Amino acid sequence: MAKQAKKMSYEKRKAMYGYGFLALWMVGTLIFFLIPLFKSLWYSFNEVSIGTGKMVTQFVGLDKYSYVLTVDENYTDYLKDMLLETLWKTPLVLIFSLFIAVILNQKFHGRTLARAIFFLPVIIATGPVYKIINGDMSSTGNTGAAQFSTMFSTDLVGQLLEFLGIYGLSDNMSTMISTVADNIFGIVWASGIQILIFLAALQNIPPSAKEAAQMEGATAWEYFWKITFPYVSPFILANLIFTVIDSFTSPTNTVMGRILNMKEDWKFGEASAMAWIYFVIVLAAIGLITAIVNKFIYYEVE
Amino acid sequence: MSDANTAAVTGVPGAVVKTEEEIGGGLTPKQAKKLRMEQMSREERAYLRRLSVVEHVWPFFRFVILFGLGFVIMYPLIYMISCTFRERSDMTDPTVMWIPRHYTLKILKETITAMDFWHTLRTTLVLNIGCSMVQVVSCAITGYGFARFKFKGKGLLFGIVIMMILVPTQVISLPLYSQFRFFGIGPLKVNLIDTMWTMYLPALTANGIRAGLMIFIFRQFFRGLPKELEDAAYIDGCGPFMTFVRVMIPNAASSFLTVFLFSVVWYWNDYYVSSTFFTNTKTVALMLQNLDTELKLRLFNDATVEISPREQIVWKEAGCLISIAPILILYVFLQKYFTEGIARSGITGI
Repeated sequence: MAKQAKKMSYEKRKAMYGYGFLALWMVGTLIFFLIPLFKSLWYSFNEVSIGTGKMVTQFVGLDKYSYVLTVDENYTDYLKDMLLETLWKTPLVLIFSLFIAVILNQKFHGRTLARAIFFLPVIIATGPVYKIINGDMSSTGNTGAAQFSTMFSTDLVGQLLEFLGIYGLSDNMSTMISTVADNIFGIVWASGIQILIFLAALQNIPPSAKEAAQMEGATAWEYFWKITFPYVSPFILANLIFTVIDSFTSPTNTVMGRILNMKEDWKFGEASAMAWIYFVIVLAAIGLITAIVNKFIYYEVE
Repeated sequence: MSDANTAAVTGVPGAVVKTEEEIGGGLTPKQAKKLRMEQMSREERAYLRRLSVVEHVWPFFRFVILFGLGFVIMYPLIYMISCTFRERSDMTDPTVMWIPRHYTLKILKETITAMDFWHTLRTTLVLNIGCSMVQVVSCAITGYGFARFKFKGKGLLFGIVIMMILVPTQVISLPLYSQFRFFGIGPLKVNLIDTMWTMYLPALTANGIRAGLMIFIFRQFFRGLPKELEDAAYIDGCGPFMTFVRVMIPNAASSFLTVFLFSVVWYWNDYYVSSTFFTNTKTVALMLQNLDTELKLRLFNDATVEISPREQIVWKEAGCLISIAPILILYVFLQKYFTEGIARSGITGI
């Protein structure tokens, strides 16, 4: 009985230590995260102005939301563009990074160098550097991708198709290809971390699975779908979330740019409403995708 | 396709054993191979043929793909270097694409002056390294708390960590501004805007830039350590805190380094948070952001001077180059910790 009591107290003491370890973070989160989060939500329902010693708010209900959605001439367009862009770019980033990760997982000369290069965007792609790179390059027509797309805009594809006896298709075809080629730059530069995460996942595939596949004479294609894909599937979701939250802070994000402008005009109410609309839509989308995808993901039983 | 090489080396093991038993010595390798091929079934032969085709063709394609995409990544860097060491007149010279006609260090020197680079660099380094160190420690403590202790409300609190990862800074930056503008309780309010406290205080309490992600990484890492470590330390008379300091931290050294490096990079590249809170304190990223105006003010002493946007590019690219240079050097030397570290740090153990 006494032993039992002592054990309980140890457990309890450990729980107290748990709170102790979290104490610093809890205080910080309250001040620097939770309060600002709720304030921001509160601001979006208010007319905000700076008074002496505090922010002055005046409750206006859903006025700011209706203003942002109906009156503001830029916001809805930007929002639509951004959401569309996220919708098609995210899958492309995921497919691309998985593809590159599979390649980089193979053994060949110069693999370390290749990995170092593909990871480079993580180091420099964020912040104003990317903005300048992106802006300058497109203003001078000097993007790496532009060089690729010149290849296509001289209509190599069209020529090839005509050579094969297919006419009329080529216009649509080359527009489509050059659109993708133009965006190669953005996609490559947005998938540094994702490649790394997939790479780590690939390295966790047990050698026994690989040997078994070889014994059975699996083709590379079968190997990918039967072995590789199930093993990396949990990380697809993680990468999806990572890609989306990374797009929030991308300097090319027009919605965030608009919010920033609003804030500089001291229109805190409108800015908060804009931020919340965007955030809630994206969060709902992530939630929905997570719920759907989770059913198809293979989790290794541990 | 990843198994192409190794599969070809191992071949089909069954076949090798059979031939050696039946034929033994006395045949040239070529004959032996032919015999072996004849004894195989149709499917086995097709499989081997396919492997050898893939094995020869694939490396070529792999090289083309990697080289092309590597070029897309390296292009801006090469362009930066090319721009930095040319004269501005080279920008309007249509014959100059990659190799400058006139080499000069003038642009580099001018950009360093315009950005007040050495002073800015010092400010940034103090801020960066200080914040990163403090934040790594605070996040490790928090992550350890989540990983190793059972207590009421843990699920809810961890939900908040996930929220920290998901909520974009832009959403909370406005109220955070007012929080710092009027910081304190009751009548005791101080204005912290434009002081380093706006960066240090959140970092100190594990709420700085991408702190949610860092807590998550540490939690995953500490969860992976065996429970026996903890028990052994307890039997030897360590309390939970001493266990953390004496046993867990030494085990987490490489994880600490990786997270620290990432933290330095994130703080270095941040311009959003710092542009919200800083007006006079300049970091490298902020300077780069405002390079246009700084150039006009410092270089030409005239805010209205017109430089053609094409010629401006040389200074901008030079600015980019010198502001990523420190991080780039760090990356070259510690590349292993960046790329391998994250694989081991447990971010993948989701």
